Amino acid sequence: MLSAFRSALATPDLRKKILFTLMIVAVYRLGAVTPAPGVSYPNVQACQAEIDQQGIYGLLNLFSGGALLQLSVFATGIMPYITASIIVQLLTVVIPRFEELKKEGQAGQGKLTQYTRYLTIALAILQATGVVALADRGALFGDCSQPVLPDNSVYSLAIIVLTMTAGTAVMMWMGELITERGVGNGMSVLIFLNIASRIPVEGANILNNEGGMIFAFVCVLGLAIIASVIFVEQGQRRIPVQYAKRMVGRRMYGGTSTYLPIKVNQAGVIPVIFASSLLYLPDLLGRLIGDPNEASAWQRFLQTYLVDQSSWVHILLYFALIIFFTYFYITITFNVDDRAEEMKKFGGFIPGIRPGRPTAEYLGFVLNRITFPGSIYLGIVAILPNFFLSVTQQGANQNFPFGGTAVLIMVGVGLDTVKQIESQLMQRNYEGFLR
Amino acid sequence: MKLFLQILLIVTSVLLIVAVLLHRGRGGGLSSLFGGGMQSSLAGSSVAEKNLDRITLGLGAVWVIAIIGLGLLLKI
Repeated sequence: MLSAFRSALATPDLRKKILFTLMIVAVYRLGAVTPAPGVSYPNVQACQAEIDQQGIYGLLNLFSGGALLQLSVFATGIMPYITASIIVQLLTVVIPRFEELKKEGQAGQGKLTQYTRYLTIALAILQATGVVALADRGALFGDCSQPVLPDNSVYSLAIIVLTMTAGTAVMMWMGELITERGVGNGMSVLIFLNIASRIPVEGANILNNEGGMIFAFVCVLGLAIIASVIFVEQGQRRIPVQYAKRMVGRRMYGGTSTYLPIKVNQAGVIPVIFASSLLYLPDLLGRLIGDPNEASAWQRFLQTYLVDQSSWVHILLYFALIIFFTYFYITITFNVDDRAEEMKKFGGFIPGIRPGRPTAEYLGFVLNRITFPGSIYLGIVAILPNFFLSVTQQGANQNFPFGGTAVLIMVGVGLDTVKQIESQLMQRNYEGFLR
Repeated sequence: MKLFLQILLIVTSVLLIVAVLLHRGRGGGLSSLFGGGMQSSLAGSSVAEKNLDRITLGLGAVWVIAIIGLGLLLKI
């Protein structure tokens, strides 16, 4: 274990990449705690101490690593980018032009990325405006008496919005820099960082409120959950694929047998993100439209059944949405007809099954069956923290770092990054052998 | 001084957004966001991209200075 770390740092180009990533991370964390100009830092701190942590901003605050409630420069953070990529991804199904671009390969993909970036800025402006409006009306922190934005002229509010939007742009750029010159996928590394940065705070919360016994229990439980998540994430069904031999000129090609891996959790954490984004929408709308002081009947209805994370309606709905989105997302991303067609083109077949339509049907059959436990697993891990509400009273919700969305994302990103480092190390060693 | 810093912040914010958008996007969107494909970008960056990097970095520095300056000046 330690020797792997040492050899990773001993390799010059890998060391450079890791150090570069760490540098960006440091810059990013600095920005996440720098308050935007015009925000009263002491008042924000006072308000934060006053409220019992995050109601609806669960996911938003989770992804911004607490930067949102600090009203920092990076308050909008990475959420606009996530939303934009989800939208673009969904639009590839709806808009024929997007689908064409997606099939075009590298160039088309680049164009789609470019659209995502434009959309990110637009969404960032929208979200920053929303956050600033909420903060200005005092609705961001519930019933906090201190003014968070002392100078609320339109001019100074506009400056804050603009700064936050630029902050999102900078974050996007930093993410891309990590992807390009660092290790791992930049955006996911930044999300990972945001979530991981909350662990000490939440842990201390539990330790202070509940005492050592429960803290130790939660830690052991958290480790067990992480281990089981890794176990399921790594699980895959390998469908054997045989390639026919063929002669091209004097050369013999093919004849190899490989396998087509189908992961148990093919969809990753995206269904969870979809579902939770959808669930917090009604409350966000209620807050923006409604009067914070007197709740109307439908607002109270929403509050008791949808927003309250310990209510059975909320948990069941969340679970059902996750299962639905898992299937939905897999049908979008894993097109069985395309796969079968591709296999046929290159002379491959699954032993015992004819190429073409029967192969597609078989793939669909396997995928459907393997996704079922996968989706249930996703749902269970995501709703786990809701059962801990009684253990930690205030700190526990979706942000609870030992279960739910947070663990899913952290494990997913962590595995991915480690794999990438490993492959780079392998490359290096291989070179070393040859020389 | 305050007005100057505010205007500086506005200008650099807008320029920064434009500069970032001018970059060629890396990483293929959502699919690679959460443990998707493992494609690495092999193509090196062009000269234009490098210059743009420098410009963005410079703008970013001015932007940060403006933010910190404003923060210190307003002191609220």
